[in-house]
Amino acid sequence: MSGRHTGEQHHHTVEGTDPQLYVEVHEPETDAGLRPVLLLHGFSSSTKLNWQDTGWLAALLEAGRRVITVDLPGHGRSGAPEDMDSYSPSRIRADLLQVAFDAGVRPLRDGDPASGVDVIGYSLGSRLAWEFGATQPELVHRLVLGGPNIADPLAAFDLVAAQRYLADGTPIADESTSGLLKMALGLPSNNVFALLSLVEAIKGEPFDPAEAVPHMPMLLVAGEKDDRAATMPELAELGAKTGALVEQLLIPGRNHSNVITSRAFKQAATEFLGV
Amino acid sequence: MAEISFPLPDLGEGLIEATVLEWLVSPGDQVERNQPLVEVETTKSAVELPSPQAGKVVRIHGGPGDKINVGEPLIVFEVPDNTAGIVGTVPKEEAPKRRVRLSAVLDED
Repeated sequence: MSGRHTGEQHHHTVEGTDPQLYVEVHEPETDAGLRPVLLLHGFSSSTKLNWQDTGWLAALLEAGRRVITVDLPGHGRSGAPEDMDSYSPSRIRADLLQVAFDAGVRPLRDGDPASGVDVIGYSLGSRLAWEFGATQPELVHRLVLGGPNIADPLAAFDLVAAQRYLADGTPIADESTSGLLKMALGLPSNNVFALLSLVEAIKGEPFDPAEAVPHMPMLLVAGEKDDRAATMPELAELGAKTGALVEQLLIPGRNHSNVITSRAFKQAATEFLGV
Repeated sequence: MAEISFPLPDLGEGLIEATVLEWLVSPGDQVERNQPLVEVETTKSAVELPSPQAGKVVRIHGGPGDKINVGEPLIVFEVPDNTAGIVGTVPKEEAPKRRVRLSAVLDED
């Protein structure tokens, strides 16, 4: 890994409890003079799995970008708070805003390419990025949303069935629930109970992209074989209605789990944000 | 000139194989150390493997969709003779040893 970085658990309490988020700021060897890029990983993933092992961090540093990474609550090296509120999307967005400011992000100013922040999200991270862009127009310059979805697969998650399965192995009837839980259990680093808290919090605040639509330019990217991204054109239409520049890219032969390493995805994102 | 072969490295989590998604280099290419070589996918995740070595690519093993076992040849480099002895012995036996250890742990259950 090239570039220096500093990593620490984030202890800036925004509302009530400490979010215990693990934040790293990665400095490029040669700074391109552009605003930093904030990376938001997907459900049951982490900064390491979503951005580091896949080559994203190296590619962005190579492009001279300063990169801010954060593990979502209950994921990666972040803590797993016990209170449900720590996992609500609105609370996570508030914590992300604080993370951005603490990492030195400053409001957008005309003619200053180092002002503001670009955001790249994947899956659940794209939902958070959409909402973050919609609610922070004075801060967010451009968005890249990978594997986006107009609905929220986690909102339909059968929590009761998942808890039964964890208690005594009762099979889960719903295929999507069973698949998501299998993914969550597949990685020993995951805190499954924290992940279920996140699901429960998301069910309380399901994604409604029409409620707040980002006005900044955005690039939507999905694997051609990603069932969940079939709704990508609807998201694009929502964005375009506000007059925002919206670009879409389908990566041939890739699905929701393997589009993430795609060179074409990284190149398109780096170019889209390189202005 | 000498040739050095690198096997598919241990990808952790007890994984024993990976599927090639896409090669990012071709035979004849001169690559730098840490330059991305190939994207592979396991049952857990997709990863990009950086080059462990600077040199000219002589051969790559497996096309998109092909499975490669941990420890099997992935890529062969051509390097100047005087560097071959230093790095040529590094990777060989590690992966099979881990597989043995993994099954020993399973037996205890």
